[in-house]
Amino acid sequence: MTILTLTPIGVGLLLLILPQLLPENLASSMRRFSRNVSFGVSMALFAFATYLSFTTFGGIDWLDINMGEYELMNDKPVTLISSIGVSWIVGVDALSLPMVWLTALLIPLSMLVEWDAKEGHIFHPLILVMEGALLGVFVVLDLFVFYVFWEMTLIPMFFLILVWGGEDRKYASMKFFIYTFTASVIMLVGILVMYFHTGDISGVSGTLTGHHFSLIEMNSEMIQSEGLRHLVWILLLIGFATKMPSVPVHTWLPDAHVQAPTAGSMLLAGVMLKMGAYGFLRVAVSLFPESTVVFTPILIILGMASLVYGALVCMGQTNLKRMVAYSSVSHMGLIFLGIATMQPLGIAGALFMMFAHGIISPLLFAVAGAFKHHYHTLEIGSMRGIAHHSPYLAAHMMLGWMGSLGLPLLAGFVAEVAIMIAFWMSFGWLVILPALTLIITAVYYLTSMQKTIFESNDRHHGILPDSLHGEEPRDITWNENTSMFILGILTIAFGIFPFIFFDMMSEWSSEFVREVLLNHLIEQGVKP
Amino acid sequence: MGETKNEYRLLFPLLPFLAIVPYLALQGENSSTDFAWMIVVAPFIAFPIILISGQVYNKNETWKNTFKEGGILGLAALLVSLSTTIWIVYDYLIGSADINNNDVTSWLEWISFDILQSDYTMAQNRVLGVGVWVDSLTLMLLFVATFLCFLICWFAIGYMTTDPINEDSNHRFFAEFVLFSLGMFGMVLADNFLWLFIFWEVMGLCSYLLIGFYYWKESAAYAAKKAFLTTRVGDVFLMVGLLILYDIYGSLDFAVVFDDPSTGVGGALVDSGELFWALMMLFIGAVGKSAQFPLHVWLPDAMEGPTPVSALIHAATMVNAGLYLVARLMPFVDVHHHGVSGLEDFGLIVAWIGGITAFMAASIAFVQNDIKKVLAYSTMSQLAYIFTGLGSALYFLNINEYYAGYFVLGASLFHLFNHAMAKGMLFMASGSVIHEVHHAHDHLHHGSDHGHHDFDPQDMRNMGGLASKLPVTATAMMFGSMSIIGIPLIGGFWSKEGIIAKTWSAYFHGETLMLGPALLILATAGMTGFYMSRMWFMTFAGEPKSEVVDHVHESTPWIKEPLIILTIITAVGGFVLAVLGVVDFLSNKSVNLSLHGKPLLDQIIYELEHAFLPEDQKLRIVGWITIFLSFIVGPIMASRVHGGRLKEGEKANLFVGWLVNLSGKFGKQDVSWLAESQLSEALDKRLYFDDLYEGVLARTLIPFADFTAWFDRNIIDGIIKQIESKSVLGSFEIRKFTTGSAGDYILMATVGALCIFVLLMGVSF
Repeated sequence: MTILTLTPIGVGLLLLILPQLLPENLASSMRRFSRNVSFGVSMALFAFATYLSFTTFGGIDWLDINMGEYELMNDKPVTLISSIGVSWIVGVDALSLPMVWLTALLIPLSMLVEWDAKEGHIFHPLILVMEGALLGVFVVLDLFVFYVFWEMTLIPMFFLILVWGGEDRKYASMKFFIYTFTASVIMLVGILVMYFHTGDISGVSGTLTGHHFSLIEMNSEMIQSEGLRHLVWILLLIGFATKMPSVPVHTWLPDAHVQAPTAGSMLLAGVMLKMGAYGFLRVAVSLFPESTVVFTPILIILGMASLVYGALVCMGQTNLKRMVAYSSVSHMGLIFLGIATMQPLGIAGALFMMFAHGIISPLLFAVAGAFKHHYHTLEIGSMRGIAHHSPYLAAHMMLGWMGSLGLPLLAGFVAEVAIMIAFWMSFGWLVILPALTLIITAVYYLTSMQKTIFESNDRHHGILPDSLHGEEPRDITWNENTSMFILGILTIAFGIFPFIFFDMMSEWSSEFVREVLLNHLIEQGVKP
Repeated sequence: MGETKNEYRLLFPLLPFLAIVPYLALQGENSSTDFAWMIVVAPFIAFPIILISGQVYNKNETWKNTFKEGGILGLAALLVSLSTTIWIVYDYLIGSADINNNDVTSWLEWISFDILQSDYTMAQNRVLGVGVWVDSLTLMLLFVATFLCFLICWFAIGYMTTDPINEDSNHRFFAEFVLFSLGMFGMVLADNFLWLFIFWEVMGLCSYLLIGFYYWKESAAYAAKKAFLTTRVGDVFLMVGLLILYDIYGSLDFAVVFDDPSTGVGGALVDSGELFWALMMLFIGAVGKSAQFPLHVWLPDAMEGPTPVSALIHAATMVNAGLYLVARLMPFVDVHHHGVSGLEDFGLIVAWIGGITAFMAASIAFVQNDIKKVLAYSTMSQLAYIFTGLGSALYFLNINEYYAGYFVLGASLFHLFNHAMAKGMLFMASGSVIHEVHHAHDHLHHGSDHGHHDFDPQDMRNMGGLASKLPVTATAMMFGSMSIIGIPLIGGFWSKEGIIAKTWSAYFHGETLMLGPALLILATAGMTGFYMSRMWFMTFAGEPKSEVVDHVHESTPWIKEPLIILTIITAVGGFVLAVLGVVDFLSNKSVNLSLHGKPLLDQIIYELEHAFLPEDQKLRIVGWITIFLSFIVGPIMASRVHGGRLKEGEKANLFVGWLVNLSGKFGKQDVSWLAESQLSEALDKRLYFDDLYEGVLARTLIPFADFTAWFDRNIIDGIIKQIESKSVLGSFEIRKFTTGSAGDYILMATVGALCIFVLLMGVSF
C-alpha cells in the first residue's frame, strides 16, 4: 500500500521538477519520455492493484474480515512527526479496496483519453501525482496524513483546470479551490477537536501533546459530551458533503467540470467525489454512529434534495457537460439515502453506488470531452445525427447514458435496486420520490440523446455545429475509443457480475451495522 | 433481387448449429433444462460479434453477401435457442421431465446480503440470483418467442438487406435484434420477479434502439424516446411493486413466493391491503409494456421502426411481457391454493383497463389508413382482450370459483398464443406488401425524384387489388385477419370466445361492475370484424388505387417462407391445440396436452359443442351474438365500403379469390360524410391523448425544470458568489502571482511543499 501511494507521487514530482533543474538538452529529452513513463508507472500500479485485489480474494477470506481489521496493513505504525503523534498507518478494507482499484484503473484511462494533451510532459506527471494523493486518501488510517492527502488532491486538479481548462478556467479553478478548501478547513476543525480528545497511547501519541491522529485507536466514547459529538459530526458532514457534493453546497462542481479537461473531469467525477462519501463513512459514521442515527433525517433531506433537485436541474441544462455534472449530484444523493436506511443492504448499495458511479461517470465525461474535442461545442442540439459521423462515439454515449439512468444489467442498476429495496423497508412510500426521479433522469438523458445521436433528417449528413466551420468531424481517436471501450465493458461486467465487489461490500456493511450501528439503533428506538 | 434460389445455400453454415441440440440430447446425461442457459447465452454471444464485425467489415463483399450483414449469424444464434426450446418443450410434453416439479437450475448468484429485521436480528445471506423456472406458461411463451424470433429474423434477412435505405447499417439491426431476443427469452425463463424485470428492461432498451433505427428521421427519434419514456413510467412503478413484494415475502423467487402466498417472511400473515398495492404497481408496469390505456400512446408511434421490428416487438413478443407478468400474478389471488382473499378489486381493475383499451383502440383503428397503424391498434385491442380475460380470471380465482377462473386464464393465454402467431404473420405480410409496393414505386419512378417524397408505401389508399399480385401475402393476411376477428374454427376464435363468455359469466355471477368490460369487449368483437376486414379489402380487393400496383411482384427472397409456415399454424393450429385441451394445460399445472383418453372424434365434437352450444342459456346467447357481430356484421359492412372485384383480367388464387368475389357482391356504400365528422377527426387524432400528455408535460415539468436550473445558477450559486466576491476583493494583491504559466505554478507549489516539509521536520525535532 505504501508503494502504491508513494511511487506515483515520487515519480510524478521527479518528472515535473527534473526538467527545470537539468540542463536544456537533457531536459528536452526527458520531456519526450515523461508521458510514456507516467503512463507506464500508472499501468504498473494498476497491475499491482489488480494483483493485490484479486490475490486477497484468494489468499485472505474477505468474507471473514472483521470490522476495524484492515488487510495489507503495515504491521508497525511508522512515526512521522513524533511530537504531535502523526504516524504512517496504511491499510485497506472492503470500504477502500474497490476505491483503490478504481483509482488505479481510472488514472491510466484518463491519461489515455488525453494522450495528445498539449504540454504532456507536465500534464501526465501531474495526473500521476494526483493518483498518489487519491490513493493516499483511501489507504491512510491516520487523520493528519489523511488530511494532508485530502488537500493534496486539490493541487494537481487546480492546475489541471487552470492550465488545460476551457475559456473560463481561471474563475472555475479558483472557485473549485477556494470552495472545497473552505469546506475542508471546517472538516479540519472537526478533526482537531477529535484529536484533542484522544487518549495517551504509548508509541502512537505525540511526545509533546499526548494525543494521536490514528483512526484505528479512536472511538466514539472518547468525546464525553453528547453535544460536542454532534457538533463534530456536523463539522465533518459539512466537509464531506461539499466534496460529494450534496445540495446546497454543490455549485463548485458544474463550473469545475465544464472547464476542466476531460481527464480532469473523469478523475473529478470518478474518484474525487467518492472521497466525500468515503470519508463520511470512514470518519463520521464509523466514529459517531450515535450522531448518525440521530441525524438520519438530515441525511434523508440532503440525499433527497440532491437527488430530486439535481435531476430537475439536469433537465434545464443545455450544456452537455453541465448536465452530466449535475447528474453526478443527483446520483450522489442516493449514497446518503443508502446510508440513511441503516440497513446492511442499503449501505452496501451506497458503497456499490460509489464504485459503479466511479466507472460510469468517467465514461460520461469521456464522451462529453470527445464532443468538445471533435465538435468544439457542448451545446445540446447544435450537432445532430452524430451516429453518422461518429458511430463509436454514439455507441459509447448510448451505453454510458443508459448506464447512468439505471438500466438493468449495467453497474448502476445494482446499486439503485439495493438502495431502493432497503429504502422501502425503512421508509415505505417515501420511495416514490427516488422512483419518480428515475423517470426524470430518463427524460433528460433521452432528450439529450435524441438531440445529438438522432435527428438529422438526412441519412448521409448530420447537422454540424457552427464551431466546426463547415469541416467534417472525424470519429473519435483510437485512444479515446480504447478508454471508453474499457469503461463500457466494465460497466456491463459489473452489471452482470456485481458480486465481484458487492459481496465483499455487503459483508463489510453487515458487520458495520452489527458492530457499530445496532446498539445505537436500539437505544434511539429506530425501527429498521 | 434476381438471385432468388441460390440464396439458400447461405443456410449451410447453420447446419452445425442445428446439430448442437440433438448431439446434447443424444448424450442423455443431463436433462434439457440444464441447457436452458443456451437459449439466453447464444444471442448474448452473437450480439457483440455481429455488432463489431459489422463495424469492421462494413463494406466487405463476403460480409454482405454470405453473412447478409450479420443476419446469418443472428439466425444461427436464434436457431440454437429455438432448438433448445423445442427440446425442452418436447421433454415436458412427451418426454421425461415433470412439469409439476419446478427443479430450479440456478445460473447466477447476482448479489447476496443481510437484512436487519424489525426485531433487530439479522436475516442472513439473502440472495438475488437467477435461475430457470419452467411451467406451462413458460413453455408456451418460450416457444412463441423463440419460434417467432427465428422466423422474423429469417424474414428480416430478406426485408432489410434488399432495402437500399438500410445500406451498411444492417449489422446494427441484427445485433439489436438478437439482444432483444435475449431479453425476451430471459424474461420468460427467469425464476424470479427481479430478473423478470431486468430482462424486461433489456427489451425496453432494444425497443428504443430499434424504433430509432432510422436515427436520422426526426419522427423515429421522437417515437423511440416516447416509447422508452412511456414504458419507463410503468417500469418504475413495477420496480416499486417489487420492493413491496420483497418486503412482504423476503424474496422475489417464484419458488418462495408461490409456495404459500398467504404467509410472508417469518410466517407473518400477508396483509391483503399491502399486497393489493404491490400487485397494482406491478400491473402499472404491465400496462406500460403492453400499451394499455392510459400508457398506450407509444405503440402506434413505434411503427416508425423497420417492419420486422414492428412484427417482432410490437406485436408478437415484447408487448406480451405485460400479459405474462399479470398471468404470473395468479397464485397471489388463487384462494383455492393459499392465495390471499379480498383482492377482487384488482381483477376488476384489470378487466376494466382491458375493456376500455379494447374499445378505444378498435375505434381508433377505424380511421387509420396506414396499414401498420391499423395493425398496431389491433394489437392494442387484442392485448386488451387478454387483459380482460386475465382480469376475470383474477376475479374468479379470488372468489374461489376456481374452475371458471382456470378456464378463462387458459383461454386468455391461448389467445395470447393465437394472437402472437397471427399478428407476427400479419406484420410480416404487411411488411411484404410495403416492401413490394415500395420497390414497384422505385422501379416506376426510377431515376426521377418526381413524386418520390409524397408517396407513402404504407398508405392503404395507394393500394387495392393486390390479391392477384401478392398471392402468398394475401392468403397469409386473410388467415391472419380471420384469426384476429375470430371467424369460427380459425385460430383466435377458440380463445376469444372463451374470454368473452367468461367475462359475461362474471357479470351473471352477480358482479355488476363486470358489465362494463363485458359490454365493451362484446362491442369490440364486431368492431374488430370491421377494421380487420377493411384493412384486407382496402389492400387486396377492388380496383387498384394507384398506378404502382400494376408493377408489384412477390419476388424478394426470404420473405415467403415464414408467411407460409405461420399461415398453416394460424389456420389449423388453434383448432388442433383446442382439441388437445390447451386451455386446461395452460392454466392448470397437473394437466398435460393430450386427448384425455378419448377418441379423436369425440374430443373434436366435445370442443365444437363447447364452443357453439354451451350449456348455460345466457352464455349461448352471448356466444352467438359475438359470432354474429364479428363474423357477419363487421366484415359485411367493411366490404360494402371497401370491397370490390379485381380489375378485369386479374385472377386471385383459390384461397382468396372467393373472398374478393364475395366482397364485390355487396352494394357499394358511400361513407365520405362520416370521414368529415368530428368523431372521425377525434379518432384520427387518437382521441387527443398524445396532445394531452404533451401539453401537460410542456406546461408543468419542463418549465419547472428550467426554473430550477435558473434558481440553481442565480440563487444558490449567486449567494456563494456574493460571499466569494466580497472576500476576493481583499485578495486581489495575491492574485498578481497567478501568471498563468504552468512552470511557474509548479515551481511555487514545490517551494511551498518544501517549506511545509521543513516546518514539520522542525516541529518534530
